[in-house]
Amino acid sequence: MIGKAPLKCCGNCDSHNMYVYPTKMFCSTRYAQNKDPIVDTLGYCEDWNQVSQECYCVRDALKAKSQNQNLTGER
Amino acid sequence: MERKDYLENPVKHIKIGKALTVNELMQQFKNSGSFGAGRLASACDIYEKMLKDPDCTVFLALSGAIVPAGMRTVIADLIRKKLVDVIVTTGACMVHDAIEAVGGHHYKGSWMVDDKELYKHHIFRIYDIFVKEEDYMKLDYELSEMYREIAQERQGKSLSSDEFAWEIGKRLNDPNAILRAAYEENVPIYIPAVRDSEFGFIHWLHSSQQDQKNVLLVDAFKDVSSICEICSKSPKNGMIVLGGGVPRNTVQSSALASKKGLDYGVIITMDRPETGGLSGSTLDEAVSWGKIKGEADHVMVIGDSLMVFPFMVASVMERLGEGFKRNSFYQREIGAGC
Repeated sequence: MIGKAPLKCCGNCDSHNMYVYPTKMFCSTRYAQNKDPIVDTLGYCEDWNQVSQECYCVRDALKAKSQNQNLTGER
Repeated sequence: MERKDYLENPVKHIKIGKALTVNELMQQFKNSGSFGAGRLASACDIYEKMLKDPDCTVFLALSGAIVPAGMRTVIADLIRKKLVDVIVTTGACMVHDAIEAVGGHHYKGSWMVDDKELYKHHIFRIYDIFVKEEDYMKLDYELSEMYREIAQERQGKSLSSDEFAWEIGKRLNDPNAILRAAYEENVPIYIPAVRDSEFGFIHWLHSSQQDQKNVLLVDAFKDVSSICEICSKSPKNGMIVLGGGVPRNTVQSSALASKKGLDYGVIITMDRPETGGLSGSTLDEAVSWGKIKGEADHVMVIGDSLMVFPFMVASVMERLGEGFKRNSFYQREIGAGC
């Protein structure tokens, strides 16, 4: 699980694949629906589930987001 | 044979007295004539004969991860220089080629690595080579779009695997790609087990799309008449195999089915015959089937094709010289009509 508040993370779904590591995913579900399949790793997917995958993409996407916020001064 | 007949050719020792060219070293190997060095020197002689024989169609059967390991340009150059006529390969080989054609890379890695960690980093391993998952995904996305376009153009009409390779090569812009070189030079690439690769599995993604009116259809049986016809029309047929598997069997069996039998054969493999598998079977065994003629020039080099084949190509190209222009029967009579 990622933190206390549930994050919507594409990296937590069962069919995610990296497109631009770690910030963008290829979503085959959206592709099948004729929607743009390239989505953000974080904060996007409605099908996010509580079971975290073994891989590091969500962790690294959170790191990238934090670094980006530090650079831009965002909170 | 008389006793003296066995003792006609003494081994000449390999001499490296100065900086040697590749072909000069190969001549030294030929003087030795022994073990792997002797077989490699024979392989060069046979390939040179194939290329100088105006009636010989040269089939190159490729399997294994030769593209990730760095042999992509060697193959593309052979196509561009018209030193092969027909390629038969695995889907994976051409997927590796296409990954690089759409901007992906293969990376030098190590076999001494924690594969569970690689999995978590979305990195795949091919022995000591690494490839990123995102490079596969970019290819999958592009391929799926290509499939949609090809399927729309074909309107439900199926393609043979060489037509499929031609359509993909047409849509790749990388001049260093094997698929692109083959498309431009009119060299057919047969991929008999095309489904057993990303080309096949991406079909699931392509066909999953809602409102997909036409789905790409590849019919592997269509290959059979096409490749057998090449063997049948060619006065002579020669085969070079890197690895083995389905590509080797396809070339040999086409030569058998067309009642020709191969006239030349070179195999570079690490596989052994004792298990009864095709990849390690000797060319003498293939003689028993009629896949290769009993009198054919043939040799099997036991070795890693990544080490052996570039050496072989460099030696033969040095022998032929820059000015050599090949005009094979296939190029004159068969490929020209395609």
